[in-house]
This record gives sequence, structure tokens and C-alpha cells, in this order.
Amino acid sequence: MSSTPYDQVQTLYRTLLVFATVAVLILAVGLVEFVYFEPPGQTTGVKARIVGVYTYDPATGTTAGTDRSAFGRSEEFAAVVDWSGLPTNLSVDVRWYDGFGTIVGRVGPSTPAELGNSSVVPVITPPGLHHNLPGQYTFVVERLQGGLPVEVLARRIVLVER
Amino acid sequence: MSTSTYTTPPAANPHPRLRPGRYGIAIAVAAVVVITLVISSLLNYVYLDTIPARTSLYGLLAVALIALGTYIGVRAFTRDRADRRKHLIRAGVLLGLGTLLWLLVIDVFVFTQAAGPLIAALCALACLPTTAFGLFVVRRMDRNEKEPWRLVLVAAAWGAIVATSLVIWGETIWDQVAQHALVPGPGLDASTAFSAGLLEELAKGLAVVLLFLVMRNDFDDVVDGIVYGAAVGLGFNFLESIAYMTNMYAIFSPEGYGWAAAGLQWYGRQGLGLFFGHTTYTAFIGAGLGIARQLPNKRQKAFAIASGFLTAIAAHFSWDAWVQFFPIDNTLFGLVEMHLRTLIMTGPFTAAVIALLIFGIRYEAMGLTDQFRKEAATGSGAILLEEVPILSSPWRRLKQRLRAFQRRGLRAYLEVARLQSAQLDLAMERWHRERQEIDTPLEAEDALRLRVIELRHWVPAA
Repeated sequence: MSSTPYDQVQTLYRTLLVFATVAVLILAVGLVEFVYFEPPGQTTGVKARIVGVYTYDPATGTTAGTDRSAFGRSEEFAAVVDWSGLPTNLSVDVRWYDGFGTIVGRVGPSTPAELGNSSVVPVITPPGLHHNLPGQYTFVVERLQGGLPVEVLARRIVLVER
Repeated sequence: MSTSTYTTPPAANPHPRLRPGRYGIAIAVAAVVVITLVISSLLNYVYLDTIPARTSLYGLLAVALIALGTYIGVRAFTRDRADRRKHLIRAGVLLGLGTLLWLLVIDVFVFTQAAGPLIAALCALACLPTTAFGLFVVRRMDRNEKEPWRLVLVAAAWGAIVATSLVIWGETIWDQVAQHALVPGPGLDASTAFSAGLLEELAKGLAVVLLFLVMRNDFDDVVDGIVYGAAVGLGFNFLESIAYMTNMYAIFSPEGYGWAAAGLQWYGRQGLGLFFGHTTYTAFIGAGLGIARQLPNKRQKAFAIASGFLTAIAAHFSWDAWVQFFPIDNTLFGLVEMHLRTLIMTGPFTAAVIALLIFGIRYEAMGLTDQFRKEAATGSGAILLEEVPILSSPWRRLKQRLRAFQRRGLRAYLEVARLQSAQLDLAMERWHRERQEIDTPLEAEDALRLRVIELRHWVPAA
């Protein structure tokens, strides 16, 4: 029989190892989540064409001016997508994300055939706000599979200035 | 010339190469930090065409200061032993302060420019008392042997200034690449969370690693590790709070909600989240290092340190990646949801740190009590047999100090406090020596014993 007293540091060490095991599980779940939403092997080579981002008149639903990459916060703006180069049966949607990652404009899901030649996708000022929030806005044309976006077919980033 | 000046007394732990090895790692870590800061300064200058970017270039001054410090440090070793320590401390303190202050200027520009200096100053003022309270509480958690304020503040300053400077470009590059390559949504959120968890915890953890390597005498066990780790986290949380408050103010002030948005950030980070977020995450790193401090073999030490880092990274990741699955209503009930979310998502991690802390305190107390008894049995006079129950209990120690205060005022209180502190230091030294986890010579223990006896002469029986 051993007379050596049990070192309590070993208890602390083992407890920490248990925490580390839980940590590995958490990170593994995170990795699975990442792979689920970013499935590998989804590159089709198809590219959508974003004609440009322009100032937008919500009353008429039309765009005006030249293609820009920065807007004032009181300016309304919209992206124009040309669907003509895409396979007609592809499931797609388009979204605007603001600097917080909130969707602030969307068209679809649909197919290029149903969306016609082109789509004007405006940024909608969130309810309760007078103007768009400043920051980087990301516009993406996405290919969907099983209702989930799996590939970005085109992307534009514009800045809404302070 | 005294011969004792150049002789090395035997260490308790018979591994003569242990100390140089530790210091070598510390120098390597410091070099990596300096190189990263240089690269960060250059990148700021090249890619950010703004005033803060130009200011950041002068971050290179920090490198010059460190080079100068190294020079002075090396020169100090040619002096005699008595002068050497003095010169080393002077060089270290002055250059360390210069570096930290310069980085602070850069950080203030980089992180708070959105709302202007006045708002940034007000936000900093709002965060100061809460962070100070946090540091006070964290330091008080070590019931037996409180860490020196200078080290706790250095840890917090590293978290606020150095760690934030270290991660800025890593996170920026990671996020830019991800933003241009990934599908927006949960996948991108997970990527950003991996970046924050990994880079921020590594940057914060470096401070605790350096304290572990260099300040071994003040890094005793898991309790000390948790204290230093939490202090680094509080420092990081301080600057991050200011950055978020100023940013939210700048975004929402034209809508008329600027102060409300900044206030909500303040409450979330400096009130509700003061001990939950960064404080908890980095405390895990400290716990890992503190446990490694007392483990006997290198394999276990490595596993303990890695486990601390892993747990911190996972805890940080889980909040950043999954917080969007707990949305907050824009109603009054949102306030309840906000508290519940923090409690559910970070509460278990904080509870885990508290469990380690409580166990660590109890274990430390057992070890110290054992050493009080053994020292009393030697009859050296440093610790008397009747003092053992008092020294073993923080409450009884406090009562003894209060009794001294009632009898002879504040001076007596402080004298008793100094005596108790010296007795605890002696017991701690003995504890480490018995466990063979110390590399200071036996003379250090004798010096502590003499100090206790000397202090006892000034303290009448309490």
C-alpha cells in the first residue's frame, strides 16, 4: 500500500482536462457549423454580373447616376443585377447586408428565368431609423441548394459614410 | 570584495538550467511581440491613409525604446550585484512605461477616432471605475497572498494596450479575406468567431505566459494564474468597451440614439459582462499556467497550458459564433433576454473558473497551514504555534489586524498586516521548496525568515 499522499494539483489538472475536452467539442461543433454553411466543392464556375450600384428613387423604383462605391447615409441606393448570363433554372437570391450583418434588402429566392433580364435591389432603411446606418454594406448574388445559400456568384461592397 | 557576491547557492529544485531556459523562452516571446508590433505599425502606415496611421508609424519608437532598454540591461550586468538590480529595474520600468504609453496613444487614435476625442474621453471615464472595481475584486479573490498591484496593473495594461495592438491586423486581414470569400451568414460568423477566439486569446495569453516565465516568485499556483488572467481580460475589456461605445455613438448619434447606444454597450460590457466575457476567458489561460506551475512533469505542464488556452478560445468562440441564435427583442422584455443570454452562454464558463478558483484557494490554504505548523515546529520564532490557527484563516487574520487597529490605530494595523504578509510569504516559499517547484536558493527562505523575525520586533503582541 502506498503511503504517498494524493497531490491535489492532480485533481485540478484533471478538472482542467475535462474543461479542455468540452472546449474541443465546442470547437468541433463550430467547425461542423462552418462546413454545413460553407460546404466544400460547391464552386460551379458560374458568375453573375452586377451591373453597378446607383442612387435609387423609391417613388419610381428606378436607379440614376453612375456606378458608385460610397454613399452618404441619407442617400437611397440599389444594386442592379444582370441575369442574362446565368443558367435559367438556377436557384438564386440576392441580399444586401449592412455592417452588422443584418439583411437590409432582398430579392428571391427564384430563378433567373423568373427574375427577367435584370433586377433592381434597393437597400431598405430599417424601421425606426431615418437613414441607413453607416458602415460597409455587402451585396451578394447567391446560389441556393436545399434552401441554403452555398455559393456566392457575385459580390460588391460599398461604404455608407458617417 | 565579498565572495558571496559571485557564488550561486544551491537551489531547492536541482535543475540548474531551469531558470536560463525559462528566461530564454520569455525573451523569444517578447521578440515575437515586438516584431508583430513593428509589422502592425508599418501596415497601419502603408494601408491606412489617415492621421492615426501616420501616428502608428511612430509605434516604431517603441522598438527603439526596447532596443535602448536591452542595451542598458546588458550594460547593467557588468556592474556589481548591488547596482545591477537597481539599474535593471530603472531601465525596465521607464522603458516599459514609455512603450505602453506610446501604444496607448496609437490605440486611442485607432479605436476611438469614430466619435472624436471628447466622446472617447467620456467613454473612457465611464469605463474606468468599473474596470478599477473589477481589478479590485479580482485581486481580492486571492485570500491568502494577494498579488502586488504593480503586476496586476501591468497585466491589465497589457490586455488594454499590447494585446489590442497585436490582434488588430491579424483580425483585419482574416475578416477581409473571409468577407470576400465566404457566403454571408452563420458560416461567416463562425469564421469571424474563430478569428476572435484564436487571435485575441493568444494575444492576451502572452501576457500571462510572460508573467509565468519571468515573475515566478509572484506566480504561485492556480489562484495567482486566475488573478493575472482575469486582470489581462479586464484590461482588454476596458479598451474594447471604449472602442464599441465610441463606434455605436458615432453610428447612432445622427438618429438621436447615440448616448443610448453607447450606454447599452457600457452596461453590456462594463456592468453585466464585466466578469463574464474576456475576464472569464483569459482567467482560463491563467488557470492552465497556474496548474502547470505545480505539476511535476513537462508533459503534464504542456497539457495544462494547452488546456487553458483551448478552453479560453472555445469559450470566446461560443459567444461570438452563437450569440446571433439568441436575438434580443426591441422591447422592454429585451432587457431580461439580454441578462438571460449572458447567463446561459457565458455563465457556465464563469462557473467553471470559479470552481477552479475555490478549489485552488482551499488547496493553497491546506498547503500553507501545513507549512505554518512545520515552521512553528522548528522553533525559529518566525511563526509561533499559537499563531497557526490565526494565519490559516483570512477572517482571523483580519480580526487580528482590526484588534491591533482598535488598540493602537492605523499604524499598528499596517504593522500587523506586514507581519502577516511576510509570514505568508515564508510559508509559500516553504511550500514550493517542499514540492521542489522553486529555483531560488535556500538563502531566499532564510532572508524571508529573518524579515519576519525583524518585523515581529516592531509589532507588540496583538
